[in-house]
Amino acid sequence: MNSRWPLLWLALHRRRRMLVALVIGMAVFEALIVIVANAIPPGQLFSGRGKGTPSAFRAFSGSSGDVSIASYPGLLGAGLVHPFWIAMQLTAIGALAAAAVAADVESGTIELLIVRPVSRNRLLAERTVALGLAALALNAAATLTVATGVALSPDIHRDVPLSGVFAAGVMGCGFALCLMGPALAVSAWGRRRAQVIGATIAIGAVGFAVNFIALAWSKAAPLRFISPFHYYTPGDALAQGHVLWPQLGVLVGVGALGLVAAHALLMRRDLSP
Amino acid sequence: MGTGYAIELNRLTKRYGAVVGVEGLTLNVRAGEVFGFLGPNGAGKTTTLRCLTGLLRPTSGRALMLGLDPIADHRRVAPAVGYLPGELRLYPELTGAQTLDLLSALQGVPSRRRGELCERLGLDSVVLRRTVGEYSRGMKQKIGLVQALQHDPRLVVLDEPTEGLDPLVQETFFELMREAAAGGRTVLLSSHVLPEVQRACGRVAIVRDGRLVTVESVAALREARARRIRLTFGDGAGPRPLGRADQWSPQWAGDRVELLVPPSEVVAALRGLLALAVADVTVEEAGLDEAFLDLYRNGEAGEEP
Repeated sequence: MNSRWPLLWLALHRRRRMLVALVIGMAVFEALIVIVANAIPPGQLFSGRGKGTPSAFRAFSGSSGDVSIASYPGLLGAGLVHPFWIAMQLTAIGALAAAAVAADVESGTIELLIVRPVSRNRLLAERTVALGLAALALNAAATLTVATGVALSPDIHRDVPLSGVFAAGVMGCGFALCLMGPALAVSAWGRRRAQVIGATIAIGAVGFAVNFIALAWSKAAPLRFISPFHYYTPGDALAQGHVLWPQLGVLVGVGALGLVAAHALLMRRDLSP
Repeated sequence: MGTGYAIELNRLTKRYGAVVGVEGLTLNVRAGEVFGFLGPNGAGKTTTLRCLTGLLRPTSGRALMLGLDPIADHRRVAPAVGYLPGELRLYPELTGAQTLDLLSALQGVPSRRRGELCERLGLDSVVLRRTVGEYSRGMKQKIGLVQALQHDPRLVVLDEPTEGLDPLVQETFFELMREAAAGGRTVLLSSHVLPEVQRACGRVAIVRDGRLVTVESVAALREARARRIRLTFGDGAGPRPLGRADQWSPQWAGDRVELLVPPSEVVAALRGLLALAVADVTVEEAGLDEAFLDLYRNGEAGEEP
């Protein structure tokens, strides 16, 4: 046990098997995406005889610009906004955010923690770091797998610079932070882990659906601004080779606001089962 | 700690919306005292303890431990406090040893007494290597006692501490309480188990419906409260009018009857009763159980000490 950061250790130790499974799953999934992308010869890409893919398909290529799913950045971007990728992120973030406060309140273990000289700030800080490490591990697994695939495939590498892969990884971390902040705020306020997991799924899954609808239906276009997937655009980062700082700023900003809200809520609440 | 009190509750009130947890509770526990906090389930004991340990914010009033506010001065006061929750919940994935390590690391002071406590409570290394999820309720309660006492705290707050402990381990627990008192430690022991409080505590507060009923020494409580009078008529006629003594809620079993009578009324009650055709009579001091029940039956007792 880590006696310096016991709450961080506890959060990661209790969910270590789930996290290892998610990291392995993420690496295997992204490897499959690279293999699938590599199996498509360049000549078959952009072969729509003058017709492009529907604009809403950009939701599946991780782009709010013009990166088509029928391109290598679009195909790899699809692996970074795929429902499987989203589900793994939501599982890790939902589980660890719930464990930050709400799960301990629900199970009653909060009593043993808080009667000790552990400030509420420390509780939130160590649990946030645990969540951040888990999100970082997942995104690192995805990024390193894609980077390895790109480095090994000359066809893909011609269209996708490695800097773009790492930029997409940074965007992925921003997306995770964007979910973490509000999820931690719900945990700091709530009494049930189901509330946190529900809120995380709502932000992630509903956010993806809103972005798709906004891209597909012009009347709903303004709704895209409330979806994290409007700002999390790994396809664009893969194509352009650099981090999209304004979009990343929005993701980080939402995450930071969530953390501030979590802190304020935790300071004011009762912490008994 | 200028007041000499280890625990001070001053008009402590905690409400959950319209529901009253505790109302206007005023109570002081002297340093070095083993103090009982007695009441039936739902009386407000656990709410009081949670306000005292900083888990709940009082709606109004104040709770102090060792002269410090449990929320504002939490990091100063918590190292000197040991707490056993009434509904002890542990992490089932951790072993007993990992649980104690974790809670010791969070306590931030050395766990000087862990080895001795584990040995006395029968938690050997084989048991401590098993996960808590495999433990019986009694084993979990032992872990709860060790984590509350392992850092030798100046103030120990225990909520229903003997729940799930077998009689032998309960003996060890009472030994530990005696040692704590002898060592100048303050113990607040909350319970609805009356003999437990009677054995361990010098003074006791009784709460009912979130309000303080009385604070008395165990001896005074026993002394001041009821005497049990048992009468046997021996004529097989069963229950019958007892005259003025009927006011003491006689409990009939055949032609035998028991009454709980206040000490000041015993002589007068006996005069009246012995005028009847009584075959046998015994008078004995009621235990704390009876005193406690008497207080509950006769809710006219004062609200504050």
